Amino acid sequence: MTAFFLDLRIAWLSLIEHRRRALFLGLAVAAVTALLVLLNGLSAGIRSTLVDTATTLSTGHLNVGGFFKVTSGQAGAVVVDYEKVKETVRKVLPELDFTVERGRGWGKVVSDTSALQAGIGGIDIQREAAFKSVLRIKSGNIDELAEPNTILLFEAQTKKLKVKVGDAITISAQTTRGVANTIDCRVVAVAEDVGSLSQWNVFVSNDSLRSLYQLRPDVTGAIQIHLKPQYVNDLGPLAARLRSSLEKAGYRIMEPDPRPFWMKFESVTREDWTGQKLDVTSWEDELSFMMWTLSALNGLSFVLMVILIAIVITGIMNTMWIAIRERTREIGTLRAIGMQRGSVVRMFLWESFLLGVFGAVAGAVVGAMTAGVLNSANIHVPLSVQLFLMSDTLKLSVLPSALGGAIALISIVTAVAALYPALRAARLKPVDAMSHFG
Amino acid sequence: MQRRTLLKSALFAAGLGSFGGLASVASAAASKPELVDLLKVVDDRQRNQGDWRSNVYIEQKEKDKVAVVYEALVFRRSADQRFMILFTKPKSSQGQGYLRIDQNLWFYDPAVGKWERRTERERIGGTNSRRSDFDESRLAEEYEPEDSGEEKLGVYTAQVMTLKGKPGLDLAFPMIKLWVDKATKNVLKRQEFALSGRLLRTSYYPKWQKIYSESRKGDIWYPQEIRFYDEVEKQNSTLILIKSVDLKPLEANLFTKAWLESKSR
Repeated sequence: MTAFFLDLRIAWLSLIEHRRRALFLGLAVAAVTALLVLLNGLSAGIRSTLVDTATTLSTGHLNVGGFFKVTSGQAGAVVVDYEKVKETVRKVLPELDFTVERGRGWGKVVSDTSALQAGIGGIDIQREAAFKSVLRIKSGNIDELAEPNTILLFEAQTKKLKVKVGDAITISAQTTRGVANTIDCRVVAVAEDVGSLSQWNVFVSNDSLRSLYQLRPDVTGAIQIHLKPQYVNDLGPLAARLRSSLEKAGYRIMEPDPRPFWMKFESVTREDWTGQKLDVTSWEDELSFMMWTLSALNGLSFVLMVILIAIVITGIMNTMWIAIRERTREIGTLRAIGMQRGSVVRMFLWESFLLGVFGAVAGAVVGAMTAGVLNSANIHVPLSVQLFLMSDTLKLSVLPSALGGAIALISIVTAVAALYPALRAARLKPVDAMSHFG
Repeated sequence: MQRRTLLKSALFAAGLGSFGGLASVASAAASKPELVDLLKVVDDRQRNQGDWRSNVYIEQKEKDKVAVVYEALVFRRSADQRFMILFTKPKSSQGQGYLRIDQNLWFYDPAVGKWERRTERERIGGTNSRRSDFDESRLAEEYEPEDSGEEKLGVYTAQVMTLKGKPGLDLAFPMIKLWVDKATKNVLKRQEFALSGRLLRTSYYPKWQKIYSESRKGDIWYPQEIRFYDEVEKQNSTLILIKSVDLKPLEANLFTKAWLESKSR
């Protein structure tokens, strides 16, 4: 124990002794750590925005959706007799927090001057407080969505359709039996864009959606399951349990397919069956078409991290070589008065590790503070970047675990980088080292 | 098509459109059997009871978009209600096609080499035309008529009928309003409605042509030109020209997936 503290003390004193060099190296380590923290923060920010927005607007953590086929060539994305399905879900999934039923549709939204294709979500606005809290309403009153034949649009959509609150638009779609149908809706609210999700989603009341698709009251698009916070990362096992339980309860279940429901129409229509089949999906499945942004960012972060770590390793090794060269006589003296080779290695490793810890802690603090400043500045990003960030402002999410991880990683890397120079220093013969001039 | 002929057709369509609603003619209401008989006549005049091959030209105009023009070959066989479209132009659509087997409509895209099942509501080539616009007329089999009086459409006196889709059938539109020329029994105008009652599409048939059918041993009629006006997206319209109709028997194995696939190789 005494030897441990002695090594640590020598390393510390050595850092103080060579404080100028230590300061420069520490700053470099801090800068790399801060960059790492910010990169992680951006990636985590996008993920958390995606989860928050998506699990409120278009999917639950888990979903029980499915298709009903009147004929083998005609599929509707509906769950019939959904109350019974919901009952089974409640029984087999104690991890469930709450559920909401959402109508699902796809159609053409037409104004007097323009048109756009959009996913049509049916919503019971009086029962969905979270929905209201996620959206920022620019104009109109979201509560009016409870009235029949009303619609909520996003800002970019109103620009394309050239409509405002109070204007009438038509939604044209085909019923689940494939008959052409329309409903006329009044725009009651315009919400701020929420990244790419708002590009192709509009919301009407569940009753309006039922009237458009000629659905019975016991039919819904999907049961969106919201889990208690501690279970949101256990989607795989929970989905598997839900699938097998629903199957045991007598429902026909579709094979797991990590794609959103609207991408499955083609394959479902090709299959030769009729009646109801249920489909259990997670939010990651329903948003798989957007997950590439996250994967791309994670990939980019990884590449940048490798480059940064390579820079740190090169810097540390280089500095240690210089230090060893400068301190060759010192090493020789220490060896001559009885210091073992292992202690020399430990001394240099500790020196490097301490430098890494101080640099990384300082960098993490700076990174976290910078993220805080960027978040509070509410920096608006252009539309093209919004699609990538899933938000109209730049949001970074710096988690304590990510901070700890960055500090640990950088500290260990700096210590490991000093290993080879330290071993070379330990191998010096005391006589040669003491007679070294340089 | 000559520019003057096109202009004449457009004026005909515009004329039908503007006078249609104004000039109702007082007459005794037609009974349902009479209307069913009239529908049967409308269908029968177009049915050659044999094979059909024609070239079609489809032009789709949409607001703020460049007009899209397709050329395709249409094949039909009355005996088993077979139907096929093979796109020949533009190059990007060459080899694509629709094939009706039994009650299913299939779409083939050589770029992906896959067949996809489509519905009767499929917009052919993304235009505002449907499979039924190119196929044999089967109004009497598919719809129940109701009398909607008589109307003057320009110089023509038309019997107006409201047709409601028979239950259980896969139809593009649940309700149609039809204007049939009382003198020739040719369709002059059609309006197609959504289930909600909203008008979706208005079609005009300004030119009818007759051709001798060997299989029928008599003349049959077909529309040489059809103009569709989108009533939801008012700025969109579609023009169909049917040319080079040939009623000679077709190859026996023509209405197969393999045949259509072979045309794109």
